[in-house]
Amino acid sequence: MTTTIVLQQAINGVVLGSLYVLVALGLTLIYGVLVQINFAHADFVTLGAFAAYFFMHLVGAGYILSIGVACIVGAALGWLINASIFTPLRRKGNELLPLIATIGVSVMMQNLMLTWFGPIPYAFETQYSSQVFRFGGIFVSWQNVIIIAVSSIAIALLYAFMKFTFLGKALRAVSQDRETAGLMGINPNYLIMLTFVIASALAGMAGAMLAPVLVLTPFAGTSVIVKAFAIVIIGGFGNVEGTILAGLIVGLIESYTTQFLDPGLIDIVVFALLLLMLAIKPTGLIAERREENV
Amino acid sequence: MSDPAITRGLGKGSIVLASRQSRLILAALAIIALPLIFTDTYWRTNLMICAINVLLALGLDFILGYTGQLNLGHSAFYGLGAYVSTLLIVKLGAPFWGAFVAGVVFAGLAGIFLSLFAVRLRGHYLAIASLGFAVIVYQILLNWISLTQGPLGIYGISPPPAIVVGGTTIVDFRNLTSFFYLVSGFTFLVYLLLDQLVRSPVGETLTAIREDEVSAASLGINGAAWKVFAFGVGAAIAGAAGCFYASFVGTLVPDAFYVSEAFTILAMVIVGGMGTLIGPVFGAILLTLLPEVLRGIGDLRLVVYGAALTFVVLFMPGGLVQAARFVQEKLRPGGQKT
Repeated sequence: MTTTIVLQQAINGVVLGSLYVLVALGLTLIYGVLVQINFAHADFVTLGAFAAYFFMHLVGAGYILSIGVACIVGAALGWLINASIFTPLRRKGNELLPLIATIGVSVMMQNLMLTWFGPIPYAFETQYSSQVFRFGGIFVSWQNVIIIAVSSIAIALLYAFMKFTFLGKALRAVSQDRETAGLMGINPNYLIMLTFVIASALAGMAGAMLAPVLVLTPFAGTSVIVKAFAIVIIGGFGNVEGTILAGLIVGLIESYTTQFLDPGLIDIVVFALLLLMLAIKPTGLIAERREENV
Repeated sequence: MSDPAITRGLGKGSIVLASRQSRLILAALAIIALPLIFTDTYWRTNLMICAINVLLALGLDFILGYTGQLNLGHSAFYGLGAYVSTLLIVKLGAPFWGAFVAGVVFAGLAGIFLSLFAVRLRGHYLAIASLGFAVIVYQILLNWISLTQGPLGIYGISPPPAIVVGGTTIVDFRNLTSFFYLVSGFTFLVYLLLDQLVRSPVGETLTAIREDEVSAASLGINGAAWKVFAFGVGAAIAGAAGCFYASFVGTLVPDAFYVSEAFTILAMVIVGGMGTLIGPVFGAILLTLLPEVLRGIGDLRLVVYGAALTFVVLFMPGGLVQAARFVQEKLRPGGQKT
């Protein structure tokens, strides 16, 4: 009985964790090339979720297709925020100003969504939410299978892109040393734009898959982003492997805390872990090669 | 036979000093006059909220503007000050001013505790750690129902006790005007103390750390210790604002100290002009009163805050102070820069 509960919550934890990984990877990629944080990343998640919802309910399209739409909405927002906030502020060279500006964007977007969509949660049901199969004593919905499959494919593609393509190599070069990469004939501005588009597409995609799991309100992204920030620090800023590991850990913490303790304690446990990491190993779970981050 | 350059310098200095003193006297007169001009409860309530917000903005500005630490969790210290003082009064029957001191000290210590974690790290770590701290404090206030009554809130918190001399009541803080004088007087005092502090060698030390911590360290300045000190002072000021807020509003619910409150205070500091003391004062007053003046916008209040934050950072990073200087230079005959 207890084993079943533990396994069942492990599935739930991995489902949540892989979505958190998608959100956190975007933050960490941007930090890698730009050493900046996009606070409005949360609202890309929410807008992706609303885009998918309205595409399904107004156009009548299938769920898988609407995940693609959320992806495109996210990518467009990423391009926009890079062009309007990060590019103009890069010349000023202040590390905190872009973060403060994106907090402004985030507050603005959340409250605009609040006036458009209202505070009442939307029921985002897909045809896969109710289709459940049994696996031993554990129940798994097709929704969960889709989430794990899509996010694994996305993460694997991203990993392959970074490791094996020329652009991916250029991207890693920029994140190691932007100026030298520029001397090697790499256009950092183009790559920074590309990073924003990829990172935000992942956020939009995560939104479309998170909404059926959590509740869809204009503030849905905020609860996720706070955990994503924690994941980025626990995994090590700019570290892809560390982020994946930390994301899964936080997902599991969330599902087990809900089962065995109290859902109100989730944020407290996650942030206690964050403060602990800052105190003992601020470089993150997997040691970072670059020391100047700290 | 004095050197003309020195005389001119001295003359200029005394003019600056005189104008500084006259500005402070003017500000004090304005504080005294305001509740006499605005006699209805609605505007007096707004004045009170202005005074509390100015206090909050001053505390955050001391942390952010003078030591460059991006604190996204100012709402947490505000909430801790409010809840610690109120719980001491309601649960243990502590006297108001004792509870006030306890709330201030507790908030200050919480600030020191938090900054100790992140002081060795770059700005982004502190930003996220402080945001996380604000989330934790909010969740604790919400979920520790046996102590804080969670979302139900604490009701019937009384204002500070009246000042009674020889059996006759001299000042009764149930009177909104007296309470406003108390809070704005306290805020004025905090402003004066911070003003003295940033003009003293301590202020120069803090600015040196903000501009270049490595160079400051090479001059023998312990940057980490000063950053922790500044964080503690700023958090303690927020704690004082919390105590006043609780006794003014009379009810406490955790939602008043949600993370969005920290962003609101941040917007006040940035819009006013961080790194100056006068900027956040006007930033807080402007952003408190603007939504009241533009009543029609209703739910769009926070949209205005967000837009103000973004556009000020993009186009006028010095905030209102920068705008005022720009106008002053345009108006000066000849129009050249000094």
